[in-house]
Amino acid sequence: MEQKRRKDILILAIRAGKIMMKSGAEIYRVEDTIERICKACGIEYVNVFATPTGIFVSIDSYGSDDTVTYIKRIRSSATDLSKISKVNQFSREFTTTDMTVEEGMKLLDEIEAKRPYPFAVRLLGAGVVTSCFSVIFGGTVIEFGVAFAVGMLCYTLSRFLEKLEINFFIKGFVCTALASFCALLAAASIEGALYVPAITGCIMLFVPGVAITNSIRDFLSGDMLSGLARMTEAALIGVSLAAGAGVVIKLWTMMGGITL
Amino acid sequence: MMTLLPQFLLALFATLGFTIIFRVPVKKIPACIVVGAFGWITYLVSDHYLGSPVVGCFLAACIVGLFSFIAATIFKDATTIFEIPGILCLVPGSKIFYTMEALLNNDLTEMGTVGLQTLLMAGAIAMGLLVMGAVIGIFRSLMRMTVTLKEKF
Repeated sequence: MEQKRRKDILILAIRAGKIMMKSGAEIYRVEDTIERICKACGIEYVNVFATPTGIFVSIDSYGSDDTVTYIKRIRSSATDLSKISKVNQFSREFTTTDMTVEEGMKLLDEIEAKRPYPFAVRLLGAGVVTSCFSVIFGGTVIEFGVAFAVGMLCYTLSRFLEKLEINFFIKGFVCTALASFCALLAAASIEGALYVPAITGCIMLFVPGVAITNSIRDFLSGDMLSGLARMTEAALIGVSLAAGAGVVIKLWTMMGGITL
Repeated sequence: MMTLLPQFLLALFATLGFTIIFRVPVKKIPACIVVGAFGWITYLVSDHYLGSPVVGCFLAACIVGLFSFIAATIFKDATTIFEIPGILCLVPGSKIFYTMEALLNNDLTEMGTVGLQTLLMAGAIAMGLLVMGAVIGIFRSLMRMTVTLKEKF
């Protein structure tokens, strides 16, 4: 097999893996996808090592002079389950039909460019999450309304910070700080409004559910390194959320607002 | 029973919100929100009858794992897509807040209690997923074994 074609196959496989990893797939799935795509193109030896921050692939085949290795660094990530689903379908299609590498590349381009839900809808979704949880945590109609507005505001801020590529710790801290400030403001200005349900509702929007779920799946499939990394991420996110809310509430009480 | 219905609906809508934020494909949203709502109801019921939120989290995580696996088999898609929105409802976000509040009040005993409970609940979610994952893994290998045995004979 000529060098050029092997390189194309490798880039296609790495690209599929990169999209999955960025969208929040577990390690096993990423490694499996890359291996399947390479094997479907007739490459006998494929070795993949993936972590949440990088993918390493080496391929080799009979009769070729040298091994090809590719290292892909992965930086930012945003959970997008539809992309995982799409790449999953793509790899199934690619391995069972005789799709060419160029066609595959075109399909991946389409998947990567997809924006499933418009921002307004996602904003509404964030509002629904925070308001529902504020009622679950003991709020009433007033907290429902407050949490709805604050949740949308926090989601906008978190999207903005993601655009600036701010790290997740600062993002969690700033977002819950804003949520706490707004909730305290609402509690001070509206008669009978509680601030606790509104803040806890907003915290639910940023809890590390994805990190916990993925770390367990990584441990289960034997990827200890990624499991540990994601477990640490979950713990750090939890700390950042508590710190953000805590600092604002402390400052608020120190300046003579409410007493806890 | 009557108090469970509003909780079920709230969990349903909360999971719907999560599915939109995490961009679950439209066709899979109904299955996702059912998984999330049943997980939350399992948590509430077992918390009420067994008196322990930790055991509640464990059982709820098991249910979420099982239902996600069933949904993934039906839709022929990754289990993660159903599991992530379902699990998010169970993560003890309010406990994180109460831990911090106890710390601000300088009430270290309370902080230790609630903080430990938070950690245990997160651990229980992990254990639930782990146990369910292991059971499903064994089930899958058994299925594969029976298929290969059938082909042989």
